[in-house]
Amino acid sequence: MSLFQITDLAGLHHHLEAAMQLEHATIPPYLTALYSIRPGSNTEAFDIIRAVAVEEMLHLTLVANLLNAVGGTPDLTTAGFVATYPAMLPDGEEDFAVDCQKFSPEAIETFLRIERPADLNHRQQGGKTVTRQKVAGAVTAGHTGAATEEHFFSIGEFYKAIEDGLDRLYADIGDALFSGDPARQIGPEYYYSGGGGLIEVTDMASAKAALDLIAEQGEGVTDTIFDEDGEIAHYYRFQQLVLGRYYQQGDARDAPTGGPVPVDWSAVYPIKTNARLDDFPMGSDLRNAAESFNRTYATFLDRLTRAFRGAPEQFIPAVGDMFHIKELFYRIMRQPIGDASDLHGAPTFEIDRSTEKTA
Amino acid sequence: MTPDTPHNDLRPGFLALSTALTGFSEHELLGTGQTMIYLQTVCDMARSDCIADMLDAFCACAIGDDKAALDRHLRLCILSHPRHGPLARNLVKLWYTGTWHCLPRDWHESYGGNPADHDHIPSPTSYTEGLLWPAIGANPPGAKPFGYGMWANPPRVFRA
Repeated sequence: MSLFQITDLAGLHHHLEAAMQLEHATIPPYLTALYSIRPGSNTEAFDIIRAVAVEEMLHLTLVANLLNAVGGTPDLTTAGFVATYPAMLPDGEEDFAVDCQKFSPEAIETFLRIERPADLNHRQQGGKTVTRQKVAGAVTAGHTGAATEEHFFSIGEFYKAIEDGLDRLYADIGDALFSGDPARQIGPEYYYSGGGGLIEVTDMASAKAALDLIAEQGEGVTDTIFDEDGEIAHYYRFQQLVLGRYYQQGDARDAPTGGPVPVDWSAVYPIKTNARLDDFPMGSDLRNAAESFNRTYATFLDRLTRAFRGAPEQFIPAVGDMFHIKELFYRIMRQPIGDASDLHGAPTFEIDRSTEKTA
Repeated sequence: MTPDTPHNDLRPGFLALSTALTGFSEHELLGTGQTMIYLQTVCDMARSDCIADMLDAFCACAIGDDKAALDRHLRLCILSHPRHGPLARNLVKLWYTGTWHCLPRDWHESYGGNPADHDHIPSPTSYTEGLLWPAIGANPPGAKPFGYGMWANPPRVFRA
């Protein structure tokens, strides 16, 4: 994906499309680690990862509301929308790739990088800019331009650039910026069982509120661990798994003093990292199940796209789809691949292959 | 339950016999996540050497894909056998209903199973993963499918 400073409405649309892709790109890795945990074990870790994954879904929907508000058209069905893992994040951090892997110290390490606060750059690297080069395997967007590319150290910086762009365009055209059909906004009644809430975006104030919520939940604001509602930022949630303790109010960064967070890295299905359909023998039950997963996921993304384009009631069956997807995750992760490795299968998220005819 | 439980060596035979007894494929049985939990349950309630003997008796006869021969072998060597029969019938009930039923008193007196054998549900997921639900094309009431209003839809039941 190539991103350039926002100077016009098309640039804003492009950034918001990238943001939707970015929010979604975190979900397969989070769900893969989450469902690799054997049911009944690692309950603290399960709750932590689940809460973050649900909030990424909230962020995806908030960005869709933003895109709709400024006259864009959300589309989760574009070829390439779903990343091929290992993947570089669409906002351009090129110092790490994201894997779909089991719950493990390596997975949490990656999750910390995904959610890292912007100022970690300054604290750890003296504010050095991360240079961007063309990276094989980077997520490519459906729409790209051609000028000087932007690159961001953190998701927070990426959203800051979107906010700056929004400010510039608002200064130019005022409320005309929010030309989208309000009927396409997804309201708070469609989100539950997670922190934060859905915000309908119809003007500058609600747009800023949506962006602020995404930033706060992700990496925290400046150097805070908890936001004003007492919710802990994703980065620090994950850090609890590494440090083995919960944060409590008043704690300093990197030094939680709450109760213990026990972790059993062995109570996990031994799934293959970044599994692909071609890892599973053609015609095997496992291959069929993985292909079925991809078709189900493609149908689900199509349903979300319809929900974002004026049919919000589609969110109700979409939640049913999510639970069905969870069942398919477990079914696949409990199957040995059957090669010499003793590894188990995992959903492959090769959504662009979901329309292939099976042999 | 992790894969390196003490009974891991019994797993292949246990899966093969469970497949023959239930009519569900290995893929479907593994997909329930109950395999090692149930193997542990039968070994705990009936002594693992009884289980090993039953699995040996089942696997001793190489039958291949001959379904009639498999049926005959199961009836003669397992279900009609005084020691294997009650165990095998318990295993069928366990897979289908997710409940372990105490073995008959006679069986325990003859073969010395665990005196603490009792009716119980081996895991919180045993009920929802019972094979009776896909067998009758229904969902376990109150447990699947999740999601508001999803009960109103026709059951989406998985068979490999």
